[in-house]
Amino acid sequence: MAGRLKLPLLLLRGPGRALGPGRALPAAPGPGSRRGCGELAALRAMGFSQEQARRLQALQPRLGPEHREAAAAQLLLLGLSAEAALALLERSPALLRLPTERLRERAEELRRLGLDGGRLQRALSRCPQLFHVPRRRLEAAVRLLRERCLFTAEQLREVLGTCPAVLLEEPSTLHHQFQYAYFRMGVQQKEMVKARLFQMPFAELRNRHIFLERRGLYETPHKGQTQISNPKLKDILQLPEKDFLASLAYSTREEFEVFKKLLAREEEEKEEEEDEDALYTEDDDDDDDDLDRDESKTARE
Amino acid sequence: MAALGGRGRAAVGLLLRAPGTGATPTPGAAPRRHRHKEKWAATAPRIPSTRLALHHFDTSYSLHLGALWPSVRAGLLCEQKYGALLNNFAAADHVPEELELLNATDFISEALQKVQQWQRGAAVGEAATGCQEGSGEGRTGMQAEIVAQAEMSSPLCTSISSKIKCYTFPRGDITRFRPARPDGLGLLDYYLMDAASLLPVLALDVQPDDFVLDLCAAPGGKTLALLQTGFCGHLAANDVSVSRTKRLYQILQSYVPKEVRDTVSVTSYDGRDWDQVKGGTFHKVLVDVPCTTDRHSAMEEDNNIFHRRRTKERQMLPMLQLQLLMAGILAARPGGAVLYSTCSLSPLQNECVVERALDVAQAQFNISIHPEDLSHFRTLFQDTFSFFSECRLGELVLPHLTANFGPMYFCKLRRE
Repeated sequence: MAGRLKLPLLLLRGPGRALGPGRALPAAPGPGSRRGCGELAALRAMGFSQEQARRLQALQPRLGPEHREAAAAQLLLLGLSAEAALALLERSPALLRLPTERLRERAEELRRLGLDGGRLQRALSRCPQLFHVPRRRLEAAVRLLRERCLFTAEQLREVLGTCPAVLLEEPSTLHHQFQYAYFRMGVQQKEMVKARLFQMPFAELRNRHIFLERRGLYETPHKGQTQISNPKLKDILQLPEKDFLASLAYSTREEFEVFKKLLAREEEEKEEEEDEDALYTEDDDDDDDDLDRDESKTARE
Repeated sequence: MAALGGRGRAAVGLLLRAPGTGATPTPGAAPRRHRHKEKWAATAPRIPSTRLALHHFDTSYSLHLGALWPSVRAGLLCEQKYGALLNNFAAADHVPEELELLNATDFISEALQKVQQWQRGAAVGEAATGCQEGSGEGRTGMQAEIVAQAEMSSPLCTSISSKIKCYTFPRGDITRFRPARPDGLGLLDYYLMDAASLLPVLALDVQPDDFVLDLCAAPGGKTLALLQTGFCGHLAANDVSVSRTKRLYQILQSYVPKEVRDTVSVTSYDGRDWDQVKGGTFHKVLVDVPCTTDRHSAMEEDNNIFHRRRTKERQMLPMLQLQLLMAGILAARPGGAVLYSTCSLSPLQNECVVERALDVAQAQFNISIHPEDLSHFRTLFQDTFSFFSECRLGELVLPHLTANFGPMYFCKLRRE
């Protein structure tokens, strides 16, 4: 038992961090005091453990302690736990360079968009990039989802909560994926939200969909012409590959691997062909503006 | 829908490009050049022939192939796999090495090696059991199987020791062959074709100095393979279509030296009339009939037999196929072999035609003709091709993503 009491003291000291003898009480931060001590105290006061505070100090050591403290404080204010805030900063130390005002504003924006409470924390923890991405990109993504894709406000909140990374995407990429699901697969917004459409990279979505389609197990719905009932988008996207193959596609891994290679080659060659065509096609009876044309080029499957 | 429709052109692009969906664009959302002009159009926008073909296949083949159909369907809709038939007449000795470096192998010689292994195994087994017989022990199950396989494939041994060489990439390997190149004399080094098309030629088993008839020879892949055996005493290559016969000439020019071309006579009769021209003279007859060319019909709009205006023609196919097979049977001499093949999965164009021909030959012409068992082909070539095991007559190569050859149906008949 006595031995055990000794260990925590050793941990507190940390490897290679000799804090000097007799250092038992935290000293108040001041111009003359050792930088390390003062900051450590401040961080501890915020609620970080000694170990966590030390890890925090190790990040961007050349930065002034105020930055670290302010950033950490801001994250805690947002509702992140000490460990979560620390993990976030360790993943993305560049956050420490952002003015704390920026951190606060961005959190506000995200809250306004519908990411609140637990969703906000989860989103920020998973996607530190959310702090960095320019505001215009954020707004463009949201505008697209609301005005072009016609997600309701509630649906948008759900999408942002489950796939916060949509805010980081190029709007045209998002739009392309949406249109694919809407027109090509015949899926409505409600189902897209439930299936967490944007969580899956587009290439993987297309692989699974076209595999099913060519096997005759998925059909783009048409009024009055649909022969089969399609598997739910949720199952297509969320089943792990093994289960997808066994219970939806009725196929083997070997077959699917070859299919993916063949499809990738098809896509590559289609793009090359389109690039060549683009050089030679004349604009005929188009009255659409440039933005439309550019987008439609990328939006073709 | 306005907001969504604003991107409609792109969206319709998504719909129109996919094979096997055949979606009709919703009016108003399509780009101007795709919207049908209401003033002029007499009919609604067409459903593509490929879509009609697939629908037809879904209905009939899901019954026939059952749980295998989804894999076959996916195979039909993806890029097919090719084999490189080596041109023995070209000076191209470096080619086998070049292809082997890429990991391609000659599937025919591989099968032959397998047969030799079995035979050696069987010989060892026999020697072993010879010793054991005294002690009253019989053959083990395994040894019996090896012997059985060796016995089965010894007829094949002679045919596949022919000089036909065809390189393919292994299962699951989707590498493409480079285009054929000419040698010093201008003859091309290999011919790219569906490797499954060689199986009917191998089954025909051309012997030295045989008179061979290829009743529907164009465009000429199988004809070329027949010539590669070096055994054709004389080859009659016939096709009713003059335009396709042109392609046959081109192939002969590009691959075969003059002295061998002189042993080939190219004709343009209607194959059904063949018996009137030369009955009972050929040792070997290949009847590779026109069919619904399933792979082509599922993928290509051009010249698609499922187009509405060709419905009558398509419905008459089994009749035409029967007539051609009868002509082939009549052209074969007693003891000769007739090989019927199609590139369709349909039993109506395959087994049914052969069965009908057997009846007609007996009833109308008093010709005895029986099918020859080709099941050993399945065992020999199972590493390269995907076979259907439930054919009641003949053999069928199924397209499969890992071995995307075929469809190819073939059945061998022996005239007594």
